[in-house]
Amino acid sequence: MKPNKFVNLIAGLATAFALPLILLIIIPFVRQSDSVPIHYPEGQEVEGGVAAYPDATLYRFGSSDFGAQVYAAEGCAYCHTQVIRPTYAGPDMWRPGWGGREEEGLARETQPLDYTLEEIAPLGYQRIGQDLSNVGHRITTRELMHQHLLNPKEIDPDSGMPAYKHLYQMSPFGKGWEPTAKAEALVDYLLSLKKDQPLPEVAGTKG
Amino acid sequence: MTLQEPTPEEIEERAAIDRSARYPVMFFFTSAAAWLLVATLLGFISSLKLRLPGLWDDYSILGYGRLFPAHLNALFYGWGMQAGVGVMLWLMARLTRNQLSNQAGILVAGHIWNAGVTFAVLTVWLGYGNSLPLLDFPKWVWLFLSASYLLIVVGVIPMFRRRRESLVYVSEMYLVGAALWFPWIFITANIIIGKGTAPVMASGVNAWYITNLIYFWMAPIALAIAYYIVPKIAGRPIYSYPLAQASFWLLAFLAGWTGFSRFMGGPFPAWMPAVSGAATIFILLAILATVFNLLVTLKGCSKLWEYSPSLRFTVFGMLMLAVYAVLAALSSTYSFGRDLQFSHFLVGLDTLAIYGFFSMTVFGAIYFIVPRITGAEWPSGKRIRTHFWYSTYGIITLVVTMLIGGIAQGGNLAQWDQTFSTSFVNSAAYVVGRALAWAMISFSNISFLYQLTLMFIGKGRKSEGPTLIHTQPGEAESAKMAAGLQE
Repeated sequence: MKPNKFVNLIAGLATAFALPLILLIIIPFVRQSDSVPIHYPEGQEVEGGVAAYPDATLYRFGSSDFGAQVYAAEGCAYCHTQVIRPTYAGPDMWRPGWGGREEEGLARETQPLDYTLEEIAPLGYQRIGQDLSNVGHRITTRELMHQHLLNPKEIDPDSGMPAYKHLYQMSPFGKGWEPTAKAEALVDYLLSLKKDQPLPEVAGTKG
Repeated sequence: MTLQEPTPEEIEERAAIDRSARYPVMFFFTSAAAWLLVATLLGFISSLKLRLPGLWDDYSILGYGRLFPAHLNALFYGWGMQAGVGVMLWLMARLTRNQLSNQAGILVAGHIWNAGVTFAVLTVWLGYGNSLPLLDFPKWVWLFLSASYLLIVVGVIPMFRRRRESLVYVSEMYLVGAALWFPWIFITANIIIGKGTAPVMASGVNAWYITNLIYFWMAPIALAIAYYIVPKIAGRPIYSYPLAQASFWLLAFLAGWTGFSRFMGGPFPAWMPAVSGAATIFILLAILATVFNLLVTLKGCSKLWEYSPSLRFTVFGMLMLAVYAVLAALSSTYSFGRDLQFSHFLVGLDTLAIYGFFSMTVFGAIYFIVPRITGAEWPSGKRIRTHFWYSTYGIITLVVTMLIGGIAQGGNLAQWDQTFSTSFVNSAAYVVGRALAWAMISFSNISFLYQLTLMFIGKGRKSEGPTLIHTQPGEAESAKMAAGLQE
């Protein structure tokens, strides 16, 4: 065949692909790779007196990274999202507790900055179970969180969540189920999910 | 206008090409069919687990969060990629009239690919995944997979270069596209996710990767098959070559922009989901034009699809492609998509792509290719019929239940003053439909794998006439014409 036809086809295919690759993937990727926690400006009052958002010392503690790995490995994100959409795209903000602490006026939709210290934002695939963006505000104690993992039907008989018995082992002294290291890490991670902190009021960070 | 009768030299040339492709292509088809059976069984068990979460919950490997990703990986990398590569090798060799060279290298790479898929499925299943659909295996697995893919297709582009006719067939354009696009999206997505510096983009790229697999791999392979099989069996050229070219370029320039509309309202700049949604809607034009073009080519030959298994599977696949494009376009608009986002509808849509149009069209190609490269006919038309109808029942059941179930579930999710579990309870019955659908698809593929294995080990039917769906082979007057075997 004529070489120019071959070159034309390959060039066309490459152009068709390179445009979205650069504009839709590479540039947003590079821009987001630069993002770091943003300092609160002077005068903005924040509970706990943290200096920046997101703050690793306050909201991600203990073995939460291992916990995030357990969350991913068990496939939690196939049924649980971590996205609160703005009201034009869905009624997530109206569902009690999903957007954060409504009584304190802190509920909001999730922003890119919320995920800054994570490796992969587990936005999720389906919503078979509840959204977990702010589950750390809805379930506040370790005991209750363990109970949710070990026996979800006890809390909500209609729950569609399986019991994660393999994360627990039977205690040799007959005290019932005892959490493994994986379960403790997972609970640490889940309790740290609080994506309703006020955003730093810096020009250019909204939207 | 009909196609010219081939000369004896051309027939001999085709036979030589078929012989050169026999072992690599049969290897890919047979191992793909075996993975498909595994994947459909996993699909059945995972759907069952979604309905009955308490079942076997002592075992970590039987959790939905482990089974479903294992199912997806087996279905796409095990079945979809291998079947597509097999079709690509044979079709490229035939269209460019080149013999397949380096069979031994391709076979070795094929074994490496199978090992890679095994690692991917097992690592995810045993709990080393990262919850990103189809990209959830550990980092080293993707290096394995991309190396073996590149070893396999490195010969496809030179084959196209050495082609002997000046006219570029539309099928060839789609094949070259698919061959080049897949490694590009696969490597890009894995690098970005592996870097771990842009958390939100990792999830966004994952959605982008899935829709790109559909529009840059599954659709091109399926369309390359359809543009080959439909004119071949109808015995006339494609209705409009310019229309076919235009719709190819429309798809090529739009497909890379899709994906982000899966996260409408997600933590992305608003233009990204908007652009993706617009691209998905405009792709509808390309797909509908293509399907129209193919169906018009068949005008007046509608009897053929009652007899020819290849044509029947291909035409059904093309109809499903049109349905997919319409549903994908609808769900990327705010008014329709906001309630269906994150619902069962998404699973229905993804399964419609991989099984409804991609697999069904590839089955058509396999029913066409395998008798030519093995020199034997399919053992039983009845089994082909079983395969077609149970697959059809299965995929239609799955899509309809997931569509309606998705609307029910999404509607319940939108009722923010109801308790959350109503959305689970009210959609539970539709999940039963999903499990039943996978059971039917699984059943249909037992008969497919059985026949394919017989062909693989050389136990095919030796006969002059092709195996047809309805008539006794070789008997009916219309049989030869129906199968379009002028060669």
